[in-house]
Amino acid sequence: MGAALGNLQHLVVLMMENRSFDHMLGGLKKQNPKINGVVGNEANPDTAGAMVQVSPTAQFEGQLKDDPDHHFPGVDLQIFGGSQVSGRVATMDGFIKSYFSQVNDVKTSHAIMSYFAPAQLPVLTTLATEFAVFNGWFSSIPGPTICNRAFAHYGTSFGQVSMDIFYLLYPILSIYERMIAAGKTAKIYYYDETSSTMEIVNLLKNQPQLFGTFPQFLADCKSGALPQYSFVEPCYNDHTGDDGGAILASDQHPDHDVREGERFIATVYNAIRTNPNLWNSTALLVVYDEHGGLYDHVVPPACTPDGYVAQPSATNTPQAFAFDRLGIRVPAILVSPWIARGTVVPGPEDPINGRVFEHASIPGTVTSCFLQGDEKRTIREQKAQTYLDLLTDQLRPDGDCITFDL
Amino acid sequence: MDTRPMRVTVPKTPKESFNPDRPASSLLRSQALHLQEALAKHVGEIAAVLAISPYKLRTEKELGAYAKKVTAILHPHESPPPRK
Repeated sequence: MGAALGNLQHLVVLMMENRSFDHMLGGLKKQNPKINGVVGNEANPDTAGAMVQVSPTAQFEGQLKDDPDHHFPGVDLQIFGGSQVSGRVATMDGFIKSYFSQVNDVKTSHAIMSYFAPAQLPVLTTLATEFAVFNGWFSSIPGPTICNRAFAHYGTSFGQVSMDIFYLLYPILSIYERMIAAGKTAKIYYYDETSSTMEIVNLLKNQPQLFGTFPQFLADCKSGALPQYSFVEPCYNDHTGDDGGAILASDQHPDHDVREGERFIATVYNAIRTNPNLWNSTALLVVYDEHGGLYDHVVPPACTPDGYVAQPSATNTPQAFAFDRLGIRVPAILVSPWIARGTVVPGPEDPINGRVFEHASIPGTVTSCFLQGDEKRTIREQKAQTYLDLLTDQLRPDGDCITFDL
Repeated sequence: MDTRPMRVTVPKTPKESFNPDRPASSLLRSQALHLQEALAKHVGEIAAVLAISPYKLRTEKELGAYAKKVTAILHPHESPPPRK
C-alpha cells in the first residue's frame, strides 16, 4: 500500500446539482488542451435552422428560469437529436430543440449552449486545475436527479429512470448501511431541516444515526470527528434561517445563483483544508448528479448493464432502456494533497488511456477502501472504475495547496 | 517561479439573488413526495403500535417489547441497530 492510501482515513463526496461538464469547466480547454472542454465551434441547430455555437455567456442566475428538461425523453432528444430509428447514432445536437420545446422562443433557447468563462467560477476551476479533473465522469443514466443519485447510494436505480420512489422495497443495502453493518462509520450531511435530504428519505426514521446537518459537518471537520465516509448535500432552496437571516440555495440547480454554490464548495474544501490531520487523510470528490439539460459535446459511452430494462412506458419514448449506456457528462474533481497538481484524468477522447467513471464509482470506491471483500452489491458497482489510484505517494507541502477566502 | 495565487478570493452572492418565492423545480416537488411517502410509512408504524392495548400486556417480555417500539418512535436515535 502506498503512502497516500496508508494515510487515507476519510472519503468525502459533495454532490451538486444539474450542470454539465462543458457548461462549468468547458472553458478550461483554452488554458489546458488536455481538459476535454470546448474549442468554440461546437454547435447545435436551432428550430429556425441556424447553427448556434457554444459561447461563454452563461449567467449566474436569471438565464435558465425555465428549468431545462433533464427527464428521460428530453435527454433522449438532446443526445439523439430526435431520431428514433433502429441503430440510431448519438449526435449531441438536440439540446436547443429540447429547450425550445419549453421556452418557445428561438433566442432564449440558445442559452442552453452557454458556458462559464473560467474566471467566473474561481472555486470550481481552481480546484480542477490544482487537483484532478475527470474528462470522463458521466451521470449514470440519461435521466433526472433521483435515479442518478441512487447510483451513488446503491450502485443501481433498480430499473428506474424517473423521480419516483423506488428504494423502499429492494433488498440491496445502501453504501451507508453496508458501512455501518461492517462496523465502519458513514453519514449523510444535509444542509438543514428546511433543505432536508434529497437522498434516501426512508432512512431518516429507520437509520437516523446516518444523518447530520451541515453545521455538524463543519464541527466534525474541526474536531476530527468526521466519519470514514461522508456524503454532503448542498442547500436545495432559498429560505429564512432560525435567526431570520436569508439562506440561499447552494446546489446550483437552475436557476439558483451559481455563486452561492461556489461559496458552498469552498466552505466544504476549507473545512477539510484547515484541519491538518484531516487534510492529509482525506479525499474529497466534488461531482454533479446530472447535466440538467445543459449542453455537453461528449457522447455518453456504453456501460455494463445491471440487469434491468425500463420499458417504453417508463422511458416515455418509443425505446426501452437496458441501462447499457451512461448519461451525459458532468463535472467531477478529486481533491487531496496526495494528488499531483494539474492532474487530468483522460476520458473517452483517449482511446488508449481513457477511463470512464459514473456515480456507481462512488460506492465502488468506498467499498474498495473500507469494505474489501463485500460482494453484496450490484454488478454495475463491481464493474465501475474506482478513483483512489489517482492518489500518489507524494504529499504536497502545505504551502502548495490553495485556500479560499470567503 | 510559481506565481499562482495561494489564496483565492470567492465573491459574495448578491443579496438580490435570495428569492424564496421562486417557483419550485420538479426536484423540490419530488423531494416533498418522497418525504410524504416516508412519513406515511412512519404513521403506519405508529398506528400499528397504537393498536396494541397496554392493558392486555402481561409479562415483562411483552411490556419490554412494547416500550421498545414506542421509544423507537418517540426517540429515533434509540432505534435498533442497522441490519447485519
